[in-house]
Amino acid sequence: MAADWEEIRRLAADFQRAQFADTVQRLSERNCIEIIAKLVQDKKLDVVHTLDGKEYITPAQISREIRDELYVHGGRINIVDLQQIINVDWVHVENRASEIAKSDKGVQLVLGQLIDDTYLDRLAEEVNDKLQEAGLISIVELCKSYDLPGDFLTEELSKRLRKLIQGEMDQYNRGVIFTPAFVARHKARIRGLFSAITRPTSLSSMIGTFGFQEHLLYSVLEELVNNGRLKGSVVGGRQDKAVYIPDIYAKTQNTWVDSFLQQNGYLEFDALVRLGIPDPSSYIKKRFRANKLLFLRAACVGQALVDQVEASVEEAVNSATWTDIQPILPSCLSVEDVGMFISQAMRNTNIQSSARVLGGTVVVSEKFISNCISLFDEAMQQKAQKEVKNNPVFLITEDDLRQASMLTENSLSKKEKREAERRKKATEGSGSVKTGGGGNAREIRIRKTKKKGRKDEDSDEETGPSQQNRSKQTEAPFMTQEEIVAVLEERVSDCPEEILSDLAEHLVRPLTKAYQEVLRTVFMSSTSSPSGANKKKSMKDLQEEVTNLYNNIRLFEKGSKFFFDETQVHISKHILKTVCTDITNILVNFLAADLMMSVENPSSITNEVRLKIVGKLPEETKGPFMKLHNCLNGKTIEDFLTNLETCAEVCGFMLKKGDKKKERQALFLHRQAFTEQLKEAEDPALILHLTSVLLFQAIFHCMLHAPGRCVPQIISTLTGRISVEQQQLLSAYQSLVVKQLVSQSQASKQQEEEEEAGGKANEAEELDEEVRSIRTQLMALAPRVKGLVLSQRKKSVTED
Amino acid sequence: MADEATRRAVSQIPLLKTHAGPRDRALWPQRLKEEYQALIRFVEQNKAADNDWFRLESNADGTRWTGTCWFIHELLRYEFRLEFDIPVTYPDTAPEVAVPELDGKTAKMYRGGRICLTEHFAPLWARNAPRFGLAHLMALGLGPWLAVEVPDLISKGLVVHKERQREAAAE
Repeated sequence: MAADWEEIRRLAADFQRAQFADTVQRLSERNCIEIIAKLVQDKKLDVVHTLDGKEYITPAQISREIRDELYVHGGRINIVDLQQIINVDWVHVENRASEIAKSDKGVQLVLGQLIDDTYLDRLAEEVNDKLQEAGLISIVELCKSYDLPGDFLTEELSKRLRKLIQGEMDQYNRGVIFTPAFVARHKARIRGLFSAITRPTSLSSMIGTFGFQEHLLYSVLEELVNNGRLKGSVVGGRQDKAVYIPDIYAKTQNTWVDSFLQQNGYLEFDALVRLGIPDPSSYIKKRFRANKLLFLRAACVGQALVDQVEASVEEAVNSATWTDIQPILPSCLSVEDVGMFISQAMRNTNIQSSARVLGGTVVVSEKFISNCISLFDEAMQQKAQKEVKNNPVFLITEDDLRQASMLTENSLSKKEKREAERRKKATEGSGSVKTGGGGNAREIRIRKTKKKGRKDEDSDEETGPSQQNRSKQTEAPFMTQEEIVAVLEERVSDCPEEILSDLAEHLVRPLTKAYQEVLRTVFMSSTSSPSGANKKKSMKDLQEEVTNLYNNIRLFEKGSKFFFDETQVHISKHILKTVCTDITNILVNFLAADLMMSVENPSSITNEVRLKIVGKLPEETKGPFMKLHNCLNGKTIEDFLTNLETCAEVCGFMLKKGDKKKERQALFLHRQAFTEQLKEAEDPALILHLTSVLLFQAIFHCMLHAPGRCVPQIISTLTGRISVEQQQLLSAYQSLVVKQLVSQSQASKQQEEEEEAGGKANEAEELDEEVRSIRTQLMALAPRVKGLVLSQRKKSVTED
Repeated sequence: MADEATRRAVSQIPLLKTHAGPRDRALWPQRLKEEYQALIRFVEQNKAADNDWFRLESNADGTRWTGTCWFIHELLRYEFRLEFDIPVTYPDTAPEVAVPELDGKTAKMYRGGRICLTEHFAPLWARNAPRFGLAHLMALGLGPWLAVEVPDLISKGLVVHKERQREAAAE
């Protein structure tokens, strides 16, 4: 028990001791850091803490460590690596490193790397090894393999160049180091290679193929050329396009050019370029300064060739023929060059005015051309004659008429000149064609109204000639080029075809001009002749014709008096439109002839043309003719006749009033003509028409000129004058004709309808049948009806 | 309850084995020995951690303990006397530690300066009896109480540093 207490006391003492024992004085880490930071801040302590913050390190220690690391890494170490090894902030490492580099001559700071001399020495030794092996080493390569800047390497290596490195640097280009042996080898190769070269060779290609050092090559080559070891020259300096030209090549080139020129008389620039002469024309000028060469665009030509061409051209001109230069010239000359050459030759021989070039290569003398033109003289004359004969209708145009009116006012001396112009215009102008066509169309219409039955024939007759005329009209400019070529081919047999066509092209103009001339003269002669000797004769004829027509009109008028009112008007209108118009036209044409506007065929004058002609007439004749013209559209023949008489007087015609004898003669002629026509006729309507008219004449002894639609009236007037049988026959025939006409018109209508709607076939057939029956009846009756008149005639003859 | 550091400290204090109060003549010395060992261990531990904060001594039979404790707040050391008796029911009942200097200055204190321990302490103690001893009492009872109360009292101006007090008196 006591022991326990003893122990307790002892423990209590221990406890006290423990309590009063010194407390361990401990600084927490935080405090430590704060204290040091404070010290550093107060500059009482110079330490750097490591990046993990566990250690402090003095700058001196950093320097020492850097040096150690540099040594360990073989004299070259990156600051970044250093920083990782030393494990302090990068700034401190860099500061210390740069301080070291500054203070120690053997250490350098390059591209963030510390490098000392031992390393560089070792590097130089390595480079030397490589150099001895390869013969040449480029700094660029070293830069790449050692990862150091070129300037630094160049500097450092050049410092050690003759100590550690057995070699030299190119003086032009410090980027390469090579050994003397290498240079010697190179030189030997260059010497050999360039001695062997016989043609211009570009240095760049040599460098490519043989792997020369560019700078070395240039300097060595220069040296060799300069001291005469290589016979040749380098053109183009130290550039890519530098070319080595051996002397022997230049020599052969020159001899080739000389001999080619001597042999062929020309030089083609292209060929020279192929030989490797870059500027042929200047080269030639330099080389052949003495010779007189003709320079063309792509070649130059020697004097001999020029002489030859000149001679042949001259000969062609003198002999009035042509010559083709092509065979004389070298084939390589272009068309352009040939042209230049020939023109030059012609200039030299002074024959430019007396020859011309066709087809590029053919020289044709002007004489030859004029000969060619003369070949056409005859044909031209013929054609002109024909043209004048055919043409005058269509030569009258508005222009002509206007010109004509001016002519009447102008003096006669000017007339011819004007006329020539007029002709030209007439032939050139397309207006004449138009007028002609229009005139024809109207003519056709007039004819149609005249005789229904002959519609088709008439229109056919009319359109034929009109087309012909029109085509003639367009041909008026003498001949087309093709025709000329054809003619030339016949006459000038040895010419090639292209030249003929060229020649023809040349000739078209002068020929047309000449043709105009010829046409004019021919026309003049043709128009002047009738106005001279033939005039009287034609006057006589005209007078006769006019008188005849005049009398006929009077007789017709008499005939028309047998009818009344409507019918009479119809008949007189018909007469006015046909016979009266004819006579008017004849008169107008007669007057127009004086104004050089006459027309071959007076009946072709249309209303408009007539009006125009009349408009141009001189005052004293204009008035009556205008009245006459107006009468044509009137209703009574009496007015026309009175006007006609005054007009005839103005024109100087005598209008004799026919006596009985003449009247009878006219009657007879008229009847005769109609009977002839009747004999020929087959168309039922025409037969009826003629028969009725002839019957009328036989009974009333009076001529009748009536339109077809007056036939029923004529027949009705005949009633009572002829026998009942005849009457019946006529009326039957008439009714049949009417039926036929009706059915025809119906059929045509029906056809149209059928085309539109189709069907109604039955009706059409019925109609067809009807028509057929009518036709057969008509056919049967026709001879009887004809006989009616023909037998009548006999009777009447016997009566007479 | 106590913070993490305290808990760690407590875990390193050796637990007691003997269940005996002061009345238990036979086993009390045994218990007292264990108490002392635990305290020595605790103090050593605190000193090693630079966390020494009290002094204790007892009477001869180990039933009354007196000493001082201190608290460092804003670089100033505030020191208080402390005293407590071992209750007869010990170790089932925890001793009531008294800091007479602070008597009447804080609400968390009984009459006579006995500190008012947290409500967690009593159940904790009861659960761990008899293995907890005086060292545990200091670590889990007084330590946390001081840590909570002293800064509060200082901020209220109820506790003034002695030197300042002196300065203030000199003035």
